[in-house]
Amino acid sequence: MDQGTLEKLVEIRRGDLSAADNVASALELIKKRDKQINSFIELNPNALAEAEAVDLKIKRGEKVGKLAGLTIGVKSNINVTGLRATCASRALENYVSTYDADVIKRVRAEDGIIIGMNNMDEFACGSSGETSAFGPTDNPAAPGHIPGGSSSGGAAAVAARLCDISLGSDTGGSIRNPASHCGIIGFKPTYGLVPRQGLIDLGMSLDQIGTLSADVAGTALLLETIAGKTGNECIMLNVEKVSYSEKLEKHDLKGLRVGVSPKFSDLTDPDIMDIIHRGIEKLQDLGAEIVNVDLPNLERGLSAYYLIVSVEFFSGTRKFDGRKYGKRIEDVCGEEVLRRILRGRYISQKEYRGKFYQRALQIRTLIKRELMAALEKVDVIAGPTVPKLPHKLGSKLTPMEMYAYDYLTVPANLAGICAGVIKAGDVNGIPVGLQIQGRTLGELDVLRVMRALEATE
Amino acid sequence: MKVKIGFEVHQQIDTKRKMYCNCPTNYQDVPPNTNVCPICTGMPGAKPLPPNERAVEAAIEIALMLGCKIVNNQTIYIQRKHYDYPDLPSGYQRTSLPIARDGELHGVRIREIHLEEDPGQYDPVTGNVDYNRSGVPLVEIVTEPDLKSPEEARKFLRWLTRVLEYTGKVRPEAGGAMRTDVNISLEGGGRVEVKNINSVKGAYKALKYEIIRQRDKLKRGLTVARETRAFLESQMVTVPMRAKEMEEDYRYIPDPDIYPLILDEERVRATQLRMAEPPHLREKRLMERYKISHASAEVIVSERELADLYEAVASEVDPRLAAAWFRTRLKKVLNYMKLKAADIEFTPTQLAGLLRMVKDKRVTPEQGELVLRELARNPADPEELLLKLGLVPLNKSELEAAIARVIEENPKAIEDYRVGKKEAINFLTGKVIELTKGRADPREVTQQLIAKIKQKPSG
Repeated sequence: MDQGTLEKLVEIRRGDLSAADNVASALELIKKRDKQINSFIELNPNALAEAEAVDLKIKRGEKVGKLAGLTIGVKSNINVTGLRATCASRALENYVSTYDADVIKRVRAEDGIIIGMNNMDEFACGSSGETSAFGPTDNPAAPGHIPGGSSSGGAAAVAARLCDISLGSDTGGSIRNPASHCGIIGFKPTYGLVPRQGLIDLGMSLDQIGTLSADVAGTALLLETIAGKTGNECIMLNVEKVSYSEKLEKHDLKGLRVGVSPKFSDLTDPDIMDIIHRGIEKLQDLGAEIVNVDLPNLERGLSAYYLIVSVEFFSGTRKFDGRKYGKRIEDVCGEEVLRRILRGRYISQKEYRGKFYQRALQIRTLIKRELMAALEKVDVIAGPTVPKLPHKLGSKLTPMEMYAYDYLTVPANLAGICAGVIKAGDVNGIPVGLQIQGRTLGELDVLRVMRALEATE
Repeated sequence: MKVKIGFEVHQQIDTKRKMYCNCPTNYQDVPPNTNVCPICTGMPGAKPLPPNERAVEAAIEIALMLGCKIVNNQTIYIQRKHYDYPDLPSGYQRTSLPIARDGELHGVRIREIHLEEDPGQYDPVTGNVDYNRSGVPLVEIVTEPDLKSPEEARKFLRWLTRVLEYTGKVRPEAGGAMRTDVNISLEGGGRVEVKNINSVKGAYKALKYEIIRQRDKLKRGLTVARETRAFLESQMVTVPMRAKEMEEDYRYIPDPDIYPLILDEERVRATQLRMAEPPHLREKRLMERYKISHASAEVIVSERELADLYEAVASEVDPRLAAAWFRTRLKKVLNYMKLKAADIEFTPTQLAGLLRMVKDKRVTPEQGELVLRELARNPADPEELLLKLGLVPLNKSELEAAIARVIEENPKAIEDYRVGKKEAINFLTGKVIELTKGRADPREVTQQLIAKIKQKPSG
């Protein structure tokens, strides 16, 4: 494995590696490799200057932030002043942000360097990274395969070491799915822990900004940077600043109860389940107690999820009416985006509301209760992330086949709980991620499990 | 032909900041698109702040004043109402489910009350949109179709305006702060909704027009279809709206970015204790407590500050005398000087002092009015004003001398009076008042004149 995030930070702080050099080598690597990977849509022209400013602070002995000099990729649905938040769509291809999302303000306050805007599935509608109007992204861990999505660019960039960490968003698995396929760490925080001010809508009641990184330390650092209430939006949990990094030193899991469900095997390919079982055995070796939990309705979450997401997405995209951002979304978007808009438009009609949307909300409540009940018995639930291996770039899938990638990730969004993904192994060289779902605000439990696993490598 | 009329009234709430962001609300005072931010312009990714508490408070108070039951201890979702129009930056307007229901104002049932936000302002001629107004809080008041004529409807809107002004929490009516949609149906016809009405007068004209139009159709055996029409203020007519605008399905969904409102009982009770007494209830109370006429009470409660002044004065002097003065002379002076009750600078004690002088017959009502005028202009102790205006009371001999002189100098008028031209006495009274420089009481002068003329043998 390459140098870890913490080691790099120490080098930068000591002046052994300048932030400017860190940025310069990232830019160079991007130049060399990203034509093929296609993980960035736009680079930050000020990145070097910003890094030099951090170096100057260090040279003067001033205090620097906890991300000092690290290169941060940003998913193209998060507003960064002066850069285009295209959502990888023709509808917003010329939209230059006029304001920083709250997470960006926090990253800047900790001296992280925004390196550029990552590629993604158009408006985060996709689980493969192929629906971008700027072309599909390759999977650096399994070239020729999809990297997963929708935070495809962020995951691929981290996997190829084109940046140190990435900010992604996860509505139904959009961070965890590509993290699993690219063999890196992905983390979806508890709904309401991280401010969404500045995150462009997919499904507002499910969207959450999270992190993609090569190691758990990177995840912990970025997560504690962006987490905590702001007073700048309505739907946030009443949580002050949190810290995780310093609480990850213990690597045994004694006393931790890990839930597993037979449902996982029913929904997942056997090759993948073999790897997952081995990962769970490792947790047992680390001292965790493995407990069976009952999740009888787990698979019903998928259809409820797609109904809810479509209605909210339809609503959230009404502003792209062609008057303000140049193009009307329905006129220029790809087929998956259009499918969701039309579906949302259809099922939100007065006469169908009770039939679809209300029903979906009921199932959501059911899934939430089920997961909450399970998480009363155990501290975390461990299982697979994606039921299938990533397909080869260019193969044609039906919408239902594509949606089926999300069976195991959407429940956490429906319930609002947190979940992380860490590589558990590979099937013929293709990475497989173990998903650890935690309680509401159970971030530390999930990070501890992932850190303990990582330390066994 | 039976007519049924109902209203949806939208009134801007007077808060410093907008409903879901911190932008100022003085949209009329600043250049276009200056009171804006990513939230109220619906920039991609912008999320609303929690609803403005002051707006919520004002809406509760308005609802209570209209006798509504507040929706207590339940989740009240803020809904997204989707429609496509240039002034609507996000393609939806946020509007709450009812925060209150089942009120009543002068026999007109209030169905429900909502909290909303104003859209921006679109100018179809230039194609420009100004988002300064976007996000200004509104309260929407929906009535049952209990009104039976345009005249009644107009009266109701005036009452409603007064109630709203009593709260002190709405923008003044002038300047388009109040907008209404009306629905009207005639017996045997469909329900027609008319939008784009910006004033009480506009509502009246629109209803007048609709009754003529609908009645004419029905008389000719045609049907009046259920439809939505727009009022054209410049021409005082209504025209059909485009089919697309009518058939719209707003696809309401609860806004996922805003917690639902929950109005707990404690809070509502606290508001009730703190709020002003609504004018229609105050009117009733004044009549009972001070034994004054409906006509007087109605004038007194027309402005909250006027009623406050009345009650202060009535605690010091005869409430019925005070009421008579408020209804006639005070109202006249205020109108003449174009003053609102809120602009009055004299104190209740000063006015009470003046009324006491009138009651003690130290001044005539006419003199009193002169003092009142001066009081409104330059507030001071009424005794001082009396001196300042030279209104020292006339003594008996002065008055008698003046009367004698007028009788002496006007033999023709005396003769006229004697032969039955009773109006001649008014002429003679006027002469005495003139001679005494307005210090004499006209009633007393007339009485004495008549007595004197009768005494004196005819020439």
